[in-house]
Amino acid sequence: MSSEQSEQATQEPDPRSSMGGDGAFLREFGRTAGLIGTIVLVMAIFAIASDGRFLMPENLLGLLRYMSTLAIVGLGLTGVLMVGEIDLSFGAVYGLSAMLTAVAWINWGWSVGAAIGFALLIAVCVGLFNGFFTTVAKIPSFIATLGASTLVFGFTLLVSASATYSPMSPGSGRTMNEGQVSFFRGLSNQDLPLGLPMGAIWMAVIALGFWYIISKSLFGFRLKAIGGNAVAAQFARIPVRRYKIWAFVICSLSAAVAAILTFAFIGSVQPDSGVGLLFPTFAAVVIGGASLSGGRGTVIGTLLGCLLLAILNNGLALMAAGAFLQQIFIGVVTIGAVVLDQATQRWRKDR
Amino acid sequence: MTDTPTLSGIEIHDLVKTYGDTVALGGLTLRAWPGEILGVAGPNGAGKSTMVKILASETKQDSGTITLNGMPWSADMDAHRVAIVHQEPQLFPNLTVAENLLVGMEPSRFNRPQGRDANLDVLCEVGLLEHANATVDSLPLALQQRTEIAKALAKNADVFLFDEPNSALTESESAELFERMHALAGQGKVVVLVSHRLGELATHCDRVVVIVDGRSRTELVPPEIKEERIARELVVGRSGSSAAARAAREEGAPTLLRLSQWTHRRARFTSIDLEVASGEILAIVGVEGSGGRELIRSIAGFERARGTIDLGARSGPAAQSQVAFVTGDRSESLFDNLSVGENLFLREAGRLTTRAWTLNRRAARNRASESQKAFLVKTASLNTPVRSLSGGNQQKVAIASALAVGPVLLALEEPTRGVDLGSKAEIYRLLRDYSDAGAAVVMYCTEDSEVFDTADRAIVLSRGRIVGSLLIADYADAESLAEAIASLAGSDAPHHHRPEPHPEDTAA
Repeated sequence: MSSEQSEQATQEPDPRSSMGGDGAFLREFGRTAGLIGTIVLVMAIFAIASDGRFLMPENLLGLLRYMSTLAIVGLGLTGVLMVGEIDLSFGAVYGLSAMLTAVAWINWGWSVGAAIGFALLIAVCVGLFNGFFTTVAKIPSFIATLGASTLVFGFTLLVSASATYSPMSPGSGRTMNEGQVSFFRGLSNQDLPLGLPMGAIWMAVIALGFWYIISKSLFGFRLKAIGGNAVAAQFARIPVRRYKIWAFVICSLSAAVAAILTFAFIGSVQPDSGVGLLFPTFAAVVIGGASLSGGRGTVIGTLLGCLLLAILNNGLALMAAGAFLQQIFIGVVTIGAVVLDQATQRWRKDR
Repeated sequence: MTDTPTLSGIEIHDLVKTYGDTVALGGLTLRAWPGEILGVAGPNGAGKSTMVKILASETKQDSGTITLNGMPWSADMDAHRVAIVHQEPQLFPNLTVAENLLVGMEPSRFNRPQGRDANLDVLCEVGLLEHANATVDSLPLALQQRTEIAKALAKNADVFLFDEPNSALTESESAELFERMHALAGQGKVVVLVSHRLGELATHCDRVVVIVDGRSRTELVPPEIKEERIARELVVGRSGSSAAARAAREEGAPTLLRLSQWTHRRARFTSIDLEVASGEILAIVGVEGSGGRELIRSIAGFERARGTIDLGARSGPAAQSQVAFVTGDRSESLFDNLSVGENLFLREAGRLTTRAWTLNRRAARNRASESQKAFLVKTASLNTPVRSLSGGNQQKVAIASALAVGPVLLALEEPTRGVDLGSKAEIYRLLRDYSDAGAAVVMYCTEDSEVFDTADRAIVLSRGRIVGSLLIADYADAESLAEAIASLAGSDAPHHHRPEPHPEDTAA
């Protein structure tokens, strides 16, 4: 045994390793490959079932735009799940941010830049609120963010008086600055080459940022460690509280950014715009491999999960499956994906 | 072989189990007869834990067979007839002791079981009757372990597998446990004891099998069962550091740590005055509840205390931040979702950044590789998941990770609990190297042999106060040290949580 050990000790570092663990690497690689396979399969089914309408460029570009909203929100959520917490308030934050931008700009007469800045600031505040109640007051994040969600939604209704807003039709007696309106619409509703949605560009930039944070930075490494074992992280003198608060802030901020971009694209906003976002985002992130118990999650996984959800959403709508059937289907796929993932993991472990 | 099929005991034949590139069991063959206590010894990574896991149906072997009384081993059978007492209790921490006994044996299918449904005789037998309605997580580790044993007894199992059962028990509790093992063997049960404590194996076992590298190397029967003989069969060439060598430790080394009027916020310890010299390894000895655990943690700043603390030139929180702390519970010191390498460099990751925010993976790997070599961590690669290592190697990773930041003082809890002899010796040596370099180690110990093998000095804690200080070099062997510690601590009952029941009382 001692000879074996000296052998181990003189072994050169394994060159495969920069991805952080060959077991982990294989698992991530397997998951990614599996997800891509599933996506291709689902696309093929929709293409056949819709007589090729699914593959029409306009349709795919629309799908990409929906995906970009989902992905920007989902990446923020990935950070919170990685650190071992949960955020149920991002849907409400999404609604509030879009609504605050609209109300401050249209009703209060602020400049569009100030309105956006204000909305982002409030989103940061909600993140801090979530972080504070979770880490300092030590309320489980499920409860804290569930409460925050209702609270924020209430504010949204209050601020908006439960009305729909659009800078193109600001209501009687109000005129909007043309330059500001075109700047705002330009954030996300511009003609790009190939008809590429502006949201896709935003998504790419934000995803790159998240990839850097999660895979390359010290912050991401510690986030993952805290999610894996918060007690051990505390003993290792990692500032657990601060990291968790950051994760909540980033999640809220992502939701706000996605909301403002989608508002800019659509051109109008309703108070309940974020309500339908909660489940698809969770589904996409979990399908992408993030664990609700913390310590796991990747940018590529989340992106692929969002792509799959966007495809399902789009394809089922295209086939006029109806909203009810669509719900049932997405539920089944989410559970199926997680079951499959757990099963392959167990299988790998037993080998 | 199976002419008396009902009484043939456990038969393990050619058991093989691999984890990736690591061979945990390489064809283990073993026999345990009813009515005997079979001891299983082996160094770190030899495959003992894997064998226990397979017997507990926590994992499946790659090949090989196990039979119990001639019948193939199965998970169903395991649930009813095999009881496994683990080194770390596997209980429901949120339920009471009585409820833990009832899980899986609820008297009614519909009603929530009541604590009074539990097997009170068993609780009485292990001296837990008065704690029957206490939730498990409110009890000290030693009592949790007793609950585990009570659970096994309540199942009325045929096979009792003790996996380092007494690593957290005091000497007298251990003695009680061994009496119980003998009684079980006397009733014709199969009793297997997996242990690192060779003395106990030698004293209590009818037969000892030594496992090395996933195979049984030797089987020892009575005249041969001696501590030295087992040790020889284990790894050669690794010996613990000798106490005599430390006797000449220089006098008048500068004081590194000074505590004065150090009092726990909830008075788990009060008015502690303590000095630790640079280069010293100090053991804080005391049973669970003596305040030793809280004292160690308070030095590192993880329990709140009043008073003054000075470490080198710093004091207060600035001093505490210079202390690296490793818990006794590996589920609180390691990160399961990270690799061995990542666990090794985790604590110093803050220094391994290139530009702001970017973790320099290359530098981190090099540091992890250095730690792995210095601590002789036996792993297939730095990329393997940390939980695939054996217990001793996991502990080395935990300590190596703490030392990587170059702390002024290292605070440890039971650094070698559940760790095999080979790793123990290595950990002792590394602690010694570290303290020789001008730092110091304080550790909370419940095991006298650990104190004897590692420390220069021991302070004995009882009910939150220092009741004595011993120089280890004054004692010739672990037994005489244990006696001295017992006489210091023993005069008053150790802890309000656990009035020691007399064996005679509990038998009644």
